[in-house]
Amino acid sequence: MPLLEIKNLVTAFHTPAGRVPAVDGVSLSINRGTTLGLVGESGCGKSVTALSILRLVSAPGVIESGEILLENGGSTQNLVTLGERELCRVRGGRIGMIFQEPMTSLNPVFTLGDQIAEAVHLHEKVSRAEARLRSLEMLKLVRMADPEQRLHEYPHQLSGGMRQRVMIAMALVCRPDLVIADEPTTALDVTIQAQILDLLSAVRKRLSTAILLITHDLGVVAETCDEVAVMYAGKIVERAPTAELFSRPLHPYTIGLIAARPTPGASRSVPLRTIPGMVPLPNNFPSGCRFHPRCAYAQFPRCQTEPAELREVTPGHFVRCHFAGELDVPQNH
Amino acid sequence: MSDPLLVVDQLTMHFPVRKGLLRRVVGAVRAVDNVSFSIARGQTLGLVGESGCGKTTVGRSILRLLPPTAGSVHFDGLDVLAQSPRALRAMRRRMQIVFQDPYGSLNPRLSVRSILEEGLIVHRMGDAAERLHRMTTALDRTGMQAGCLDRYPHEFSGGQRQRIAIARALVLEPDFLVLDEPISALDVSIQAQVVNLLVTLREDLGLTYLFISHDLSVIEYVSDHVAVMYLGRIVEQSPAERLYAEPLHPYTLALFSAVPSIDPARRRGRIVLPGDVPSPSRPPSGCRFHPRCPLAETICRDIDPPGVTVDGHLVHCHVAARELDRAGGNASSAALRMAELVAKTLDKSASEDSLASPSH
Repeated sequence: MPLLEIKNLVTAFHTPAGRVPAVDGVSLSINRGTTLGLVGESGCGKSVTALSILRLVSAPGVIESGEILLENGGSTQNLVTLGERELCRVRGGRIGMIFQEPMTSLNPVFTLGDQIAEAVHLHEKVSRAEARLRSLEMLKLVRMADPEQRLHEYPHQLSGGMRQRVMIAMALVCRPDLVIADEPTTALDVTIQAQILDLLSAVRKRLSTAILLITHDLGVVAETCDEVAVMYAGKIVERAPTAELFSRPLHPYTIGLIAARPTPGASRSVPLRTIPGMVPLPNNFPSGCRFHPRCAYAQFPRCQTEPAELREVTPGHFVRCHFAGELDVPQNH
Repeated sequence: MSDPLLVVDQLTMHFPVRKGLLRRVVGAVRAVDNVSFSIARGQTLGLVGESGCGKTTVGRSILRLLPPTAGSVHFDGLDVLAQSPRALRAMRRRMQIVFQDPYGSLNPRLSVRSILEEGLIVHRMGDAAERLHRMTTALDRTGMQAGCLDRYPHEFSGGQRQRIAIARALVLEPDFLVLDEPISALDVSIQAQVVNLLVTLREDLGLTYLFISHDLSVIEYVSDHVAVMYLGRIVEQSPAERLYAEPLHPYTLALFSAVPSIDPARRRGRIVLPGDVPSPSRPPSGCRFHPRCPLAETICRDIDPPGVTVDGHLVHCHVAARELDRAGGNASSAALRMAELVAKTLDKSASEDSLASPSH
């Protein structure tokens, strides 16, 4: 049984301009102790998917349909219908969350020790001394220098990388089964990003926590994830084990994303391969296959009128494209 | 490099740190310290480094948007820093800048027409008909239609806004562009479009670029020469192919290895640097990289490494200098040796590296 299974999730925002379906029928599953990467560009719905899992989508956003099933000792809880009280036990308890902006996600007026201990107090009946001890252990686990001293410091005294370590410590302090990390390294420099990714994978191995890693960076996914789901315009367009996805991408969008990055030693006289057009906005998703206006392989009228279904093209490799597996695509690996 | 268009010599930019009621100067943020480079006509210099290393400040002081503390900048033989306001204005027509954030760099209350025309009016370029012609030409070059002249920035996507920002720089027919992280705020699928556009414009119009970015792959693709900055200093500088094939500075090595790659073959031997980038207001003694350097020795703590140049490949590092010396000035074998040395320290730290273990 997967640890978390999302079935046909639809999350829409009801704005004065009409209904905006940011997440439109997403299905995903994550097994215990594994890392799933959710990749996509701005507005594709990846962050809204993450927020929906913990029901943190704020008005006018509504989870309209679908199930989010969290495995719970043999049975499952549906987070979509769970009462607010039980949900609070899941948030920060069984599921931890790491946000993108380490600069704004910490409370500036409390010490780090207080903030990490707060998470412990919320979920477990422990003494202050015990909570402090747990915070200290977590700071050690995320390799903070001088952890004892850090407990008494405030967020502004830390650099971006250090704050992200504190965020990770907070997310992990209750030993969650799943951590949702929404662009955890996007705001960080590349050498600091390397530290944090290194840390996340070490922590995962140690605590066997499952991770849902949300990012726009294919390189980050390739290096940290077991499985990858690519999102485009509110839908999953491709899902496969990481090595398979990067060696044999089948959706034209994934192929385009991978090819759009300059490869080492590439000559400037050969232009980069591009995906023409723009990233569509959720209030104006195209008809049929949502990628058809930008797709080099689109065939008309089929791609324009008939929505593509996610289908298993080879075992474990799902693609939402009418012609997946039949396209004659240049492979660059 | 023959016939340089831009020569930057010993450029230094210190921002005063003031404190107290009297705003007394108590220190300085050494954002840029003794940076020198030149860019030949029609070439691109890529400036890479992490946030706070001073790369943006270099771009801005060249245009005198920030008056440098010391050093000189010569553009086409003229001393930029010594120009009168009037002469500087004339010079600025030829040197333009494209900023990182196309959401912040276009005035939301001005139409695209007003945004593009402003520079032409300031520089008294042509009558109304001539200006319109220049504007439509610039838009056309950046792949935008003349129809967008009467629309406003909010009507465009990030990629389109960046094209408008590039068109704004192009209407003045400049010779030189400072591109300050021009693609960092864009989606991956849009980045390639803008990179291709910039490369095409450079070829078609014979432009010279200072391309500032933290994206090493893009810098490699667009640049003829590359300079790597760390804490206000250039630590390594060379023709692009050489720098990427034979990096000599341990920081460059670490930077290259830290970039996550989708190619499993390039993923071995990640160098994870310890610690954070120190504050430029209190840079470390000696070599500024020494507190994070896997190869640091006693000398690195005490003495600022002078630059060593071999066939146009400049590096500021005591260890690299010694290896170059040993290899008789052969940069390839010195680079190989540097990579080996760093790999050795990696193996050692990998065996020592275990997570601090909580008791339960």
